[in-house]
Amino acid sequence: MWAAATAVFVAVSLIPGDPVEAALGGPGSQASAATVEATRERLGLDRPLIVQYFSQLLRMATGQWGDSYAQRIPVAEVIGQALPATAVLAVAALLAAWAIALTLTVLAALGGRRGRLVTSAVGMVAASLPHFWLGLVLVAVFATGLGWLPAVSDGGGAGLVLPVLTLALPLGGYLAQTMLDGVADAEATAFALSARARGERRGGLLWRHTLRHAVLPAVALSSWAAGTLIGGAVVVETVFARPGLGRVLLSAVTQRDAPVIVAVVVVTAVVFIVLGFLGDAAARWVDPRGREATSR
Amino acid sequence: MIAHPRPRLLAAGALSLVAVLALSACSGSTVEPDASATPVDGGTLVYASGDAEPDCLDPHVGGNYPQALLATQVLEQLVSRDAEGTIVPWLAEGWELAEDGLSMDVTLKPGVSFTDGTPLDAEAVARNIAHLQDPDTGSSTGYLALERVERVEAVSDTVARFVLSEPDSALLESLAQPWLAIQSPAGLDRGTDENCLAPIGTGPFIIDDWVKQDHISLVRNDDYASAPADADHDGPAHLEGIIWRFLPDATTRYAALEAGDVDVIDNAQPDAVARAESDGGISDIDAPRPGSVNRLELNSGQAPFDDERVRQAFLAAVDVNPGIESLFAGTAARSYSPLSSAETAAYSDEAPFAVDVERAAELLDEAGWDEVGSDGVRSRDGQRLTLRLPVSTNQSIPAEVSLFEQIQAQAAEVGFEVTIDQLDLSSWYAALGANEYELVSAPYTKLGPDVLRILYHSDGIVPAPSGYFANHAQIDDPELDDVLDRASRSQDADERSELYTAAQRTILEGSYILPLYDQQNHFLVSDDVAGVRATDTVSTVWLGDAWLVG
Repeated sequence: MWAAATAVFVAVSLIPGDPVEAALGGPGSQASAATVEATRERLGLDRPLIVQYFSQLLRMATGQWGDSYAQRIPVAEVIGQALPATAVLAVAALLAAWAIALTLTVLAALGGRRGRLVTSAVGMVAASLPHFWLGLVLVAVFATGLGWLPAVSDGGGAGLVLPVLTLALPLGGYLAQTMLDGVADAEATAFALSARARGERRGGLLWRHTLRHAVLPAVALSSWAAGTLIGGAVVVETVFARPGLGRVLLSAVTQRDAPVIVAVVVVTAVVFIVLGFLGDAAARWVDPRGREATSR
Repeated sequence: MIAHPRPRLLAAGALSLVAVLALSACSGSTVEPDASATPVDGGTLVYASGDAEPDCLDPHVGGNYPQALLATQVLEQLVSRDAEGTIVPWLAEGWELAEDGLSMDVTLKPGVSFTDGTPLDAEAVARNIAHLQDPDTGSSTGYLALERVERVEAVSDTVARFVLSEPDSALLESLAQPWLAIQSPAGLDRGTDENCLAPIGTGPFIIDDWVKQDHISLVRNDDYASAPADADHDGPAHLEGIIWRFLPDATTRYAALEAGDVDVIDNAQPDAVARAESDGGISDIDAPRPGSVNRLELNSGQAPFDDERVRQAFLAAVDVNPGIESLFAGTAARSYSPLSSAETAAYSDEAPFAVDVERAAELLDEAGWDEVGSDGVRSRDGQRLTLRLPVSTNQSIPAEVSLFEQIQAQAAEVGFEVTIDQLDLSSWYAALGANEYELVSAPYTKLGPDVLRILYHSDGIVPAPSGYFANHAQIDDPELDDVLDRASRSQDADERSELYTAAQRTILEGSYILPLYDQQNHFLVSDDVAGVRATDTVSTVWLGDAWLVG
């Protein structure tokens, strides 16, 4: 976290642009010298860079996030307002992605050679869809065309469907590819062959034996995937006008609002670390070998 | 005001999606509301803005266009401007300039109160001007407009005297801008942080609640009694309230309008405007912003454009009309003036922009750029004829970027190498500040022809403390300076208009700019709403006369 905060601090200091301008009506402000000076002082930007750095670290360590340069409210408030919406979006998208991936995997395993080809092609196409394009196509079809769902977030469940699908389809495709590979590998192992020899059917083999193997790498990937959903949120929240961390980050970067940028990155880093632990725990639960290995 | 940032991150792909949208759109109501129908009271209108959500709703702080859009519903100015360009009464019912031009007495409308109950008096006006001029407020746009105002004195309860350091022919135009709106002194006393969340004014609506990143809800001011002279009706608004939403993506914003989720959108893109016109059910309000047009400025401060012949060659080499017609789908008219068509003082001349590719080549030969490399790029003494064009993706919509690419291709025909660099707003200003450009498009919004002084007076080459300077063409012409100075001090309307015409002629004939079109500002309005119009001041939308049709 210290590394993340430091990297962001350095990056924000290096990119061109002056955060004072953000507070004075955007870059290219024509405010007077006195105004610029007063604002610089208010934001503490008149101090040397190294002092700013340590005071920022100190504030973070003590849980004092400071105020947003641009919005003039505490950073904790900015993050607090945005975090729940992004969390709902990311969790829903992750669940939906898993549902998509599992469905594809089961279909592939039951559908034989041809089924596997079709589902793996579907998975591959889904995995390569860019969020931006996908989001707009979904709007064109389901909001403008069919009129089933609102084009922009309406605060309710219906408004959540298209943003979640936009994030879940590519991720689900990606997870499905991993699972399909896992199933294929497992089917080639000795235990699978012997199970088949005992007369186990395709479905039983998948359910009792190979799926467990296939799911393992996908579980490990999911903690990483949840992190990337935060990146995807930048696009999805803009297209569907949802409140959230992604949009907060986007506008903070545009305005060089350093306290907000640092806070979003640190929060994201914490989420990554927590998800990493959860991913490990889940993998251990799915894979008994790991449990025994550590209990010994 | 400098053209403000708009979120354009995702706009690039929107064009390619028009086809998909057109295929999937099978609805499209054709119900025509009866425009002469009697207004109906009640209901809530949903407005969707494509602009960035303001950080502060008090337009005194900073001062950009998104703030002005919202402030137009909530706050009011001393004066307004009507469609003929005449300054008309608003919170002020009259004004009188002293003979020496060094003071102006403004008489306030009697009996007006702010929505917190504080009466509007001359002290309140003085307090507002002081607030704008206080460095701690952080005003940029409003502050700049008050450059020549030394102070405001309350002569009586209803008469406020503006004391000037020198005559200012643009003062009334300045005061008509939303960035100089008059707010409740009690509201200002709460301090910037609190006032930013809900400034208190005299306008037709009151800020009720602001859910950041989502919406601002406005409720009707039931005691409203100070409509500007150019409003359609007096008294409280017809609408009970407004939900003011922020929908940054142009495609979904239009989809939401089409689906009936919202009633009015701003920042409508050319493809959406063209589609609304053909589909029906939605009407377009074409409200170009005042001040400058969108134009390419040729940096005459350094080589190669310090040579007038090279500037003339560039202008003769590029034909922008077909591109504007096709890329903007017929929604933007070509301009031949430095000033917006919203300005009655605008002077046009097509002659300096006649296209003549052969003449362009001759001019470049004459100017010494006569060595042509294997890639077709000219050079002189080993210097390539390169023109750097930094483009702000916040300000140039995709159609404009495409137009620049066409210009790039046309200029290449005669041996210019135009390099287009798409940058985010901060990096773009940094490039301008470092003088790393030969061409740039930087529209500027301000009420009245005095914008010419900001943009083309040699004082504008000196950077502001932020590093910003407004004279991107870097015109340094003492005669032009003198004309602009005299115009800004002139007490005589005819003389003023003659001087501004002369100034525009100098700018056009000097080949410093390539005017393209007005600063595009289209609002799309659902036919379920009537009485919506754009103001004739800074072309923000005015919802004080709007109502929902049955």
